[in-house]
Amino acid sequence: MTRKLLIFAYWLAAAGTFAAAAVRVFLWTPDEVTMGIIQKIFYFHLPVAINTFVACTVCFVGGIGYLVQRKTWWDDLASAAAKVAVVLCTGVLLTGMLWARGAWNVWWTWYSPRLTFSFMLWLLFIVYLIVRASVEGSQRRAVVGAVYGLIAYLDIPLVYLSARLLPDQFHPADITLAPSMKLTLAISFLPITLITMGLITLQYRLHRARRAASVDSVAMPAAGVQPTFIGGAL
Amino acid sequence: MNTTLRQIAVLVAKDLRIEGRTRHTLGLVVVLGILIISVLGFGIGSQPQAAALGTPAILWVAYLFSGVLCFEKTMATERQDGALAGLLLAPIDRSVIYAGKLLSNLTLMLTVAAVITPIGILFFAFDLSPAPFGFIAIISISMLGFAAIGTLFSALVSSTRLQGGLLAMVIFPLVLPLVIASTQQLTAMFRDHTPPGGMGLAVLLAFVAIFLTTSWIVFELVLEP
Repeated sequence: MTRKLLIFAYWLAAAGTFAAAAVRVFLWTPDEVTMGIIQKIFYFHLPVAINTFVACTVCFVGGIGYLVQRKTWWDDLASAAAKVAVVLCTGVLLTGMLWARGAWNVWWTWYSPRLTFSFMLWLLFIVYLIVRASVEGSQRRAVVGAVYGLIAYLDIPLVYLSARLLPDQFHPADITLAPSMKLTLAISFLPITLITMGLITLQYRLHRARRAASVDSVAMPAAGVQPTFIGGAL
Repeated sequence: MNTTLRQIAVLVAKDLRIEGRTRHTLGLVVVLGILIISVLGFGIGSQPQAAALGTPAILWVAYLFSGVLCFEKTMATERQDGALAGLLLAPIDRSVIYAGKLLSNLTLMLTVAAVITPIGILFFAFDLSPAPFGFIAIISISMLGFAAIGTLFSALVSSTRLQGGLLAMVIFPLVLPLVIASTQQLTAMFRDHTPPGGMGLAVLLAFVAIFLTTSWIVFELVLEP
């Protein structure tokens, strides 16, 4: 009971801080001079982007942990984080596209290294999920996932640098933020980070529960019935 | 050290001898590369300006698809008749197997590139004269990085079901930085006439260095008879 209450309180806090951040973004933060109201998407865009990296890092750590210790919970952590990373990266892409539309009047441009980078990152981690789904056998799946996750994570800095090789037509010099804007940005980090951590935990617990269920079905297979891995890949 | 080199040489010689006698891989892969270039040629060959500038990218499309097929094929050879199990039982380090496979894949891919690149250059009237050696150097470095990733993942993916298409799916997003850096270097050399260097070259070399070492380390984890 207390556990449920705590979980409820956690999500309530996440929702509450999110609402508070949204109110602050729209009511108590000045509009940016050149871009106007569309710049407000930035207070959502940047925290989500940073949390995408956090989720990718958790996935990487989980993969390494699995390769070293061969404990299944590392693998569950890695795949949970990868899923959350894909969701967050989708958020980064969508907000980035909205921002591009508002600021440069195009939905997509290859000339924005950051947009291209988010797209390549999204591809990297969506492939992680697909590869996991295609591998049979939970042990093999964990190894393949861990190795791919490791290589993909090491690829991120290179992807970032290579995206900057593309000619950059649009990006203004780094935006300087007024102090009140900085405060708003800091405030909006809180709900996004809470949501990220909550989602990873949620996914992780789901994977653990699925694995426990599938281990039980392997331990006690019904006569003539092949043990099934309910825990599938995705 | 000498023993290691000899072991690698034996493995590479074995792979190339098999390829020389059966010609399973090379014929298929070269023709696929030519087909890809022709299809793109029909599509954009009529706009000479676009075609000449896009040649590095067109060549990369051909390299990528032929490469994936090549890696898949060379690993499939090992899977036949339990050859890989025999290889794993041999008293050699797993990383030696990686080095051997990498070198034979690299040799095959460079051969493939040596055939399809001239065809691409011919079809799209690409002027190689400003920096022929720079072109060869950049392509060779890129091929090394591509083969490093390809060899690792062909071993990883081939032991799972659903190989078809999966290898391409795994490799393509990972080699994107390599492709971007390589085409950027080639464009700089042939359009802007600047020598190779700068961040593009750094990304290329970093890619090769990082993924050679990582693959070398993790290869023994992925091999399974």
